[in-house]
Amino acid sequence: MSFLARTVRRLVIALARSVGSKVVNAETGEVIGRAFVIPWRGRIAVIGLDAEVKPVFLPQTRMTYWKQDIGFVLHSPPNFPHEARPQRHPHPPAR
Amino acid sequence: MKPVLNVILTHQPASAVAAMVAWWKKCVPPESILLACGGTRADFEAIPHAAKVFIDDPRLRTRDHQREQQSYGSVFREVAAWRGTPDYAHIHFAEYDHLPLVEDLNQRQLALLAEEHADVLGFHLRRVDATNCVHYLAHAAEPAFEDFWRKVTCRADPRVVLSMIATGSFWTRAAFEAVAATPEPHPMYVEIFPPTLAHHLGYRLRDYGPQTRFVRHLGDRVSEIEPARQSGAWTLHPVKSRWG
Repeated sequence: MSFLARTVRRLVIALARSVGSKVVNAETGEVIGRAFVIPWRGRIAVIGLDAEVKPVFLPQTRMTYWKQDIGFVLHSPPNFPHEARPQRHPHPPAR
Repeated sequence: MKPVLNVILTHQPASAVAAMVAWWKKCVPPESILLACGGTRADFEAIPHAAKVFIDDPRLRTRDHQREQQSYGSVFREVAAWRGTPDYAHIHFAEYDHLPLVEDLNQRQLALLAEEHADVLGFHLRRVDATNCVHYLAHAAEPAFEDFWRKVTCRADPRVVLSMIATGSFWTRAAFEAVAATPEPHPMYVEIFPPTLAHHLGYRLRDYGPQTRFVRHLGDRVSEIEPARQSGAWTLHPVKSRWG
Protein backbone atom coordinates (compact mmCIF):
# COMPACT_ATOMS: atom_id res chain seq x y z
CA MET A 1 0.00 0.00 0.00
CA SER A 2 1.35 3.41 -0.92
CA PHE A 3 2.14 6.12 1.60
CA LEU A 4 -0.79 8.17 0.34
CA ALA A 5 -3.24 5.27 0.67
CA ARG A 6 -1.99 4.51 4.20
CA THR A 7 -2.35 8.14 5.20
CA VAL A 8 -5.89 8.37 3.81
CA ARG A 9 -6.85 5.13 5.56
CA ARG A 10 -5.48 6.37 8.89
CA LEU A 11 -7.36 9.64 8.48
CA VAL A 12 -10.66 7.92 7.67
CA ILE A 13 -10.28 5.54 10.65
CA ALA A 14 -9.45 8.44 12.98
CA LEU A 15 -12.49 10.34 11.74
CA ALA A 16 -14.74 7.29 12.11
CA ARG A 17 -13.60 6.77 15.69
CA SER A 18 -14.10 10.40 16.65
CA VAL A 19 -17.23 11.55 14.80
CA GLY A 20 -18.75 8.28 13.53
CA SER A 21 -22.04 6.83 14.76
CA LYS A 22 -22.11 5.55 18.31
CA VAL A 23 -22.16 1.75 18.39
CA VAL A 24 -24.03 0.58 21.46
CA ASN A 25 -24.32 -2.85 23.01
CA ALA A 26 -28.01 -3.57 22.41
CA GLU A 27 -28.20 -5.78 25.50
CA THR A 28 -26.62 -3.45 28.04
CA GLY A 29 -26.74 0.04 26.52
CA GLU A 30 -22.98 0.36 26.94
CA VAL A 31 -21.19 2.38 24.27
CA ILE A 32 -18.82 0.04 22.43
CA GLY A 33 -17.21 2.60 20.15
CA ARG A 34 -17.77 4.78 17.14
CA ALA A 35 -17.74 3.90 13.43
CA PHE A 36 -19.08 4.95 10.08
CA VAL A 37 -22.06 2.66 9.37
CA ILE A 38 -22.89 2.99 5.68
CA PRO A 39 -25.42 1.09 3.56
CA TRP A 40 -23.64 0.10 0.36
CA ARG A 41 -24.87 -2.11 -2.50
CA GLY A 42 -27.27 -4.11 -0.39
CA ARG A 43 -24.84 -4.46 2.51
CA ILE A 44 -23.86 -2.37 5.50
CA ALA A 45 -20.22 -1.34 5.71
CA VAL A 46 -18.81 -0.78 9.21
CA ILE A 47 -15.68 1.36 9.03
CA GLY A 48 -13.27 1.99 11.87
CA LEU A 49 -14.93 0.08 14.69
CA ASP A 50 -12.36 -1.03 17.25
CA ALA A 51 -14.37 -3.84 18.84
CA GLU A 52 -15.62 -7.29 17.88
CA VAL A 53 -19.41 -7.15 17.68
CA LYS A 54 -22.18 -9.37 16.40
CA PRO A 55 -24.96 -7.74 14.34
CA VAL A 56 -28.49 -8.92 15.17
CA PHE A 57 -32.06 -7.90 14.46
CA LEU A 58 -33.35 -6.55 17.75
CA PRO A 59 -36.43 -7.83 19.58
CA GLN A 60 -39.40 -5.42 19.39
CA THR A 61 -41.81 -4.73 22.22
CA ARG A 62 -44.29 -3.25 19.68
CA MET A 63 -44.87 -5.20 16.46
CA THR A 64 -44.29 -2.96 13.45
CA TYR A 65 -44.45 -4.17 9.87
CA TRP A 66 -42.66 -1.13 8.44
CA LYS A 67 -39.47 -1.00 10.52
CA GLN A 68 -37.06 -3.36 12.18
CA ASP A 69 -33.73 -2.46 13.84
CA ILE A 70 -30.34 -4.04 13.48
CA GLY A 71 -28.15 -3.60 16.55
CA PHE A 72 -24.90 -4.95 17.89
CA VAL A 73 -24.16 -7.31 20.76
CA LEU A 74 -21.01 -8.79 22.27
CA HIS A 75 -20.33 -12.46 22.89
CA SER A 76 -20.00 -13.44 26.53
CA PRO A 77 -16.45 -14.38 27.57
CA PRO A 78 -15.81 -18.07 26.78
CA ASN A 79 -16.89 -20.20 29.73
CA PHE A 80 -17.66 -23.61 28.27
CA PRO A 81 -17.42 -26.74 30.41
CA HIS A 82 -14.85 -29.48 29.99
CA GLU A 83 -16.39 -32.13 27.77
CA ALA A 84 -13.31 -33.91 26.44
CA ARG A 85 -13.71 -37.60 25.92
CA PRO A 86 -11.28 -39.66 28.01
CA GLN A 87 -8.23 -40.55 25.94
CA ARG A 88 -5.45 -43.00 26.57
CA HIS A 89 -2.48 -40.82 27.42
CA PRO A 90 0.23 -41.47 24.82
CA HIS A 91 2.98 -41.07 27.40
CA PRO A 92 1.81 -42.40 30.78
CA PRO A 93 3.90 -41.15 33.68
CA ALA A 94 6.55 -43.50 35.08
CA ARG A 95 5.45 -45.34 38.22
CA MET B 1 3.78 -31.66 41.64
CA LYS B 2 4.86 -32.80 38.20
CA PRO B 3 6.98 -30.21 36.44
CA VAL B 4 5.73 -27.71 33.92
CA LEU B 5 7.47 -27.70 30.56
CA ASN B 6 8.27 -24.08 29.65
CA VAL B 7 8.49 -23.83 25.88
CA ILE B 8 10.02 -20.63 24.50
CA LEU B 9 9.70 -19.97 20.79
CA THR B 10 12.61 -17.93 19.44
CA HIS B 11 14.24 -17.03 16.16
CA GLN B 12 17.05 -14.97 17.66
CA PRO B 13 20.83 -15.57 17.55
CA ALA B 14 22.64 -17.53 20.26
CA SER B 15 23.85 -14.50 22.25
CA ALA B 16 20.33 -13.11 22.58
CA VAL B 17 18.93 -16.55 23.43
CA ALA B 18 21.57 -16.98 26.16
CA ALA B 19 20.51 -13.69 27.77
CA MET B 20 16.85 -14.69 27.49
CA VAL B 21 17.41 -18.10 29.07
CA ALA B 22 19.42 -16.53 31.92
CA TRP B 23 16.42 -14.27 32.66
CA TRP B 24 13.95 -17.18 32.46
CA LYS B 25 16.05 -19.23 34.90
CA LYS B 26 15.17 -16.67 37.60
CA CYS B 27 11.47 -17.45 37.13
CA VAL B 28 11.18 -21.17 36.29
CA PRO B 29 13.32 -24.25 36.98
CA PRO B 30 16.21 -24.30 34.46
CA GLU B 31 15.59 -27.94 33.58
CA SER B 32 12.00 -27.09 32.58
CA ILE B 33 13.02 -24.82 29.70
CA LEU B 34 12.69 -26.16 26.16
CA LEU B 35 13.67 -23.85 23.30
CA ALA B 36 11.74 -24.10 20.05
CA CYS B 37 14.02 -22.46 17.51
CA GLY B 38 12.54 -21.11 14.31
CA GLY B 39 15.58 -19.12 13.14
CA THR B 40 18.45 -20.38 11.03
CA ARG B 41 20.05 -23.80 11.43
CA ALA B 42 23.38 -22.07 12.23
CA ASP B 43 21.77 -20.07 15.05
CA PHE B 44 20.17 -23.23 16.37
CA GLU B 45 23.47 -25.14 16.43
CA ALA B 46 25.17 -22.25 18.26
CA ILE B 47 22.66 -22.11 21.12
CA PRO B 48 24.32 -23.70 24.18
CA HIS B 49 21.07 -24.68 25.93
CA ALA B 50 20.74 -28.47 25.69
CA ALA B 51 16.94 -28.76 25.57
CA LYS B 52 16.06 -27.39 22.15
CA VAL B 53 14.20 -28.37 19.01
CA PHE B 54 14.64 -26.92 15.53
CA ILE B 55 11.49 -25.86 13.71
CA ASP B 56 11.95 -25.91 9.95
CA ASP B 57 8.60 -24.74 8.67
CA PRO B 58 7.73 -21.92 6.24
CA ARG B 59 4.29 -21.66 7.90
CA LEU B 60 6.09 -20.42 11.01
CA ARG B 61 8.43 -18.02 9.18
CA THR B 62 5.78 -15.72 7.76
CA ARG B 63 6.21 -11.98 7.33
CA ASP B 64 2.58 -10.86 7.07
CA HIS B 65 1.47 -13.26 9.81
CA GLN B 66 -2.26 -12.69 9.47
CA ARG B 67 -2.60 -12.82 5.69
CA GLU B 68 -0.15 -15.71 5.37
CA GLN B 69 -2.02 -17.59 8.15
CA GLN B 70 1.00 -18.13 10.38
CA SER B 71 0.88 -21.50 12.09
CA TYR B 72 2.46 -22.91 15.24
CA GLY B 73 1.38 -26.42 14.25
CA SER B 74 4.91 -27.63 13.64
CA VAL B 75 6.01 -26.13 16.96
CA PHE B 76 3.26 -27.98 18.81
CA ARG B 77 4.14 -31.25 17.03
CA GLU B 78 7.88 -30.96 17.76
CA VAL B 79 7.23 -30.14 21.41
CA ALA B 80 4.74 -33.00 21.78
CA ALA B 81 7.27 -35.39 20.25
CA TRP B 82 10.14 -34.19 22.43
CA ARG B 83 11.23 -36.77 24.98
CA GLY B 84 13.69 -34.83 27.14
CA THR B 85 11.43 -34.43 30.19
CA PRO B 86 8.69 -37.04 29.75
CA ASP B 87 6.99 -36.65 33.09
CA TYR B 88 5.70 -33.10 32.82
CA ALA B 89 1.96 -32.55 33.16
CA HIS B 90 1.55 -29.00 31.83
CA ILE B 91 3.01 -26.85 29.08
CA HIS B 92 3.60 -23.12 29.26
CA PHE B 93 4.13 -21.77 25.75
CA ALA B 94 5.70 -18.33 25.30
CA GLU B 95 7.26 -16.34 22.51
CA TYR B 96 10.77 -14.90 22.96
CA ASP B 97 9.39 -11.41 23.60
CA HIS B 98 7.04 -12.52 26.37
CA LEU B 99 8.93 -11.76 29.55
CA PRO B 100 8.29 -13.65 32.81
CA LEU B 101 8.39 -11.31 35.81
CA VAL B 102 7.78 -13.43 38.92
CA GLU B 103 9.82 -16.20 40.53
CA ASP B 104 6.86 -18.50 41.05
CA LEU B 105 5.30 -18.08 37.60
CA ASN B 106 4.38 -21.73 37.04
CA GLN B 107 2.84 -22.06 40.52
CA ARG B 108 0.62 -19.04 39.83
CA GLN B 109 -0.42 -20.45 36.47
CA LEU B 110 -1.22 -23.84 38.00
CA ALA B 111 -3.25 -22.19 40.75
CA LEU B 112 -5.26 -20.16 38.22
CA LEU B 113 -5.80 -23.23 36.03
CA ALA B 114 -7.12 -25.13 39.05
CA GLU B 115 -9.28 -22.21 40.20
CA GLU B 116 -10.85 -21.97 36.74
CA HIS B 117 -11.14 -25.77 36.38
CA ALA B 118 -9.60 -25.13 32.98
CA ASP B 119 -7.47 -27.09 30.55
CA VAL B 120 -6.06 -24.04 28.78
CA LEU B 121 -5.34 -20.46 29.86
CA GLY B 122 -4.93 -17.80 27.17
CA PHE B 123 -4.55 -14.06 26.85
CA HIS B 124 -7.36 -12.07 25.23
CA LEU B 125 -9.42 -15.22 24.89
CA ARG B 126 -12.72 -14.40 23.24
CA ARG B 127 -15.46 -15.82 21.09
CA VAL B 128 -15.41 -14.37 17.57
CA ASP B 129 -17.85 -16.35 15.40
CA ALA B 130 -20.46 -14.21 13.63
CA THR B 131 -18.56 -11.06 14.58
CA ASN B 132 -16.54 -8.54 12.60
CA CYS B 133 -13.25 -10.08 13.86
CA VAL B 134 -11.14 -9.85 10.72
CA HIS B 135 -9.36 -13.16 11.30
CA TYR B 136 -12.70 -14.93 11.70
CA LEU B 137 -14.15 -13.28 8.57
CA ALA B 138 -11.12 -14.29 6.51
CA HIS B 139 -11.64 -17.91 7.58
CA ALA B 140 -15.41 -17.81 7.20
CA ALA B 141 -14.93 -17.13 3.48
CA GLU B 142 -13.50 -20.67 3.18
CA PRO B 143 -16.38 -23.23 3.14
CA ALA B 144 -14.11 -25.98 4.49
CA PHE B 145 -13.59 -23.95 7.68
CA GLU B 146 -17.02 -24.60 9.17
CA ASP B 147 -17.11 -28.15 7.76
CA PHE B 148 -13.94 -28.99 9.65
CA TRP B 149 -15.35 -27.97 13.03
CA ARG B 150 -18.52 -29.96 12.33
CA LYS B 151 -16.36 -33.05 11.76
CA VAL B 152 -14.10 -32.77 14.82
CA THR B 153 -16.36 -31.27 17.45
CA CYS B 154 -17.76 -33.01 20.48
CA ARG B 155 -19.72 -29.86 21.38
CA ALA B 156 -23.40 -29.16 20.80
CA ASP B 157 -22.64 -26.02 18.77
CA PRO B 158 -20.03 -26.50 16.03
CA ARG B 159 -20.18 -22.83 15.04
CA VAL B 160 -18.21 -21.56 18.04
CA VAL B 161 -14.87 -20.01 17.05
CA LEU B 162 -12.43 -18.80 19.70
CA SER B 163 -9.40 -16.56 19.41
CA MET B 164 -6.52 -15.78 21.72
CA ILE B 165 -3.10 -14.19 21.44
CA ALA B 166 -0.66 -16.93 20.50
CA THR B 167 1.88 -16.21 23.21
CA GLY B 168 1.71 -17.09 26.88
CA SER B 169 -0.77 -19.92 26.73
CA PHE B 170 -0.77 -22.55 29.49
CA TRP B 171 -1.98 -26.08 28.76
CA THR B 172 -2.61 -29.39 30.36
CA ARG B 173 -0.49 -31.94 28.56
CA ALA B 174 -3.57 -33.80 27.35
CA ALA B 175 -5.06 -30.68 25.73
CA PHE B 176 -1.74 -29.66 24.19
CA GLU B 177 -1.04 -33.10 22.74
CA ALA B 178 -4.59 -33.45 21.41
CA VAL B 179 -4.20 -30.17 19.53
CA ALA B 180 -0.70 -31.12 18.36
CA ALA B 181 -2.03 -34.42 17.00
CA THR B 182 -4.70 -32.78 14.84
CA PRO B 183 -3.37 -31.28 11.60
CA GLU B 184 -4.89 -28.18 10.05
CA PRO B 185 -7.10 -29.23 7.12
CA HIS B 186 -6.11 -26.02 5.36
CA PRO B 187 -4.06 -23.04 6.57
CA MET B 188 -5.59 -21.45 9.66
CA TYR B 189 -4.21 -18.56 11.65
CA VAL B 190 -2.38 -19.31 14.88
CA GLU B 191 -4.73 -17.16 16.97
CA ILE B 192 -7.77 -19.09 15.71
CA PHE B 193 -6.82 -22.74 15.17
CA PRO B 194 -5.35 -23.89 18.53
CA PRO B 195 -8.00 -22.36 20.83
CA THR B 196 -10.92 -23.32 18.59
CA LEU B 197 -9.64 -26.87 18.15
CA ALA B 198 -9.04 -27.28 21.88
CA HIS B 199 -12.61 -26.10 22.51
CA HIS B 200 -14.14 -28.48 19.98
CA LEU B 201 -12.11 -31.38 21.36
CA GLY B 202 -13.88 -30.69 24.63
CA TYR B 203 -11.20 -28.84 26.58
CA ARG B 204 -12.12 -25.88 28.75
CA LEU B 205 -10.41 -22.59 27.92
CA ARG B 206 -10.34 -19.55 30.15
CA ASP B 207 -8.83 -16.10 29.92
CA TYR B 208 -6.00 -14.99 32.21
CA GLY B 209 -8.35 -12.35 33.61
CA PRO B 210 -6.57 -9.36 35.19
CA GLN B 211 -3.25 -10.53 33.76
CA THR B 212 -4.48 -9.93 30.22
CA ARG B 213 -3.80 -6.19 30.45
CA PHE B 214 -0.07 -6.90 30.55
CA VAL B 215 -0.19 -8.64 27.16
CA ARG B 216 -0.89 -6.89 23.89
CA HIS B 217 -0.06 -7.40 20.24
CA LEU B 218 2.14 -4.50 19.22
CA GLY B 219 4.91 -2.25 20.47
CA ASP B 220 7.96 -2.72 22.65
CA ARG B 221 7.30 -2.48 26.40
CA VAL B 222 10.93 -2.70 27.47
CA SER B 223 10.53 0.50 29.51
CA GLU B 224 7.50 -0.93 31.35
CA ILE B 225 9.15 -3.96 32.97
CA GLU B 226 9.47 -2.62 36.51
CA PRO B 227 6.18 -0.65 36.51
CA ALA B 228 4.37 -3.75 35.27
CA ARG B 229 5.94 -5.94 37.94
CA GLN B 230 4.95 -3.43 40.61
CA SER B 231 1.40 -3.43 39.22
CA GLY B 232 1.14 -7.16 39.72
CA ALA B 233 2.15 -8.50 36.30
CA TRP B 234 3.25 -12.11 36.09
CA THR B 235 4.49 -11.61 32.56
CA LEU B 236 4.82 -8.77 30.04
CA HIS B 237 4.42 -8.80 26.25
CA PRO B 238 5.83 -7.64 23.90
CA VAL B 239 9.33 -6.84 25.09
CA LYS B 240 11.28 -7.03 21.85
CA SER B 241 14.54 -5.21 22.49
CA ARG B 242 15.46 -6.73 25.88
CA TRP B 243 17.81 -9.34 24.40
CA GLY B 244 19.59 -7.08 21.89
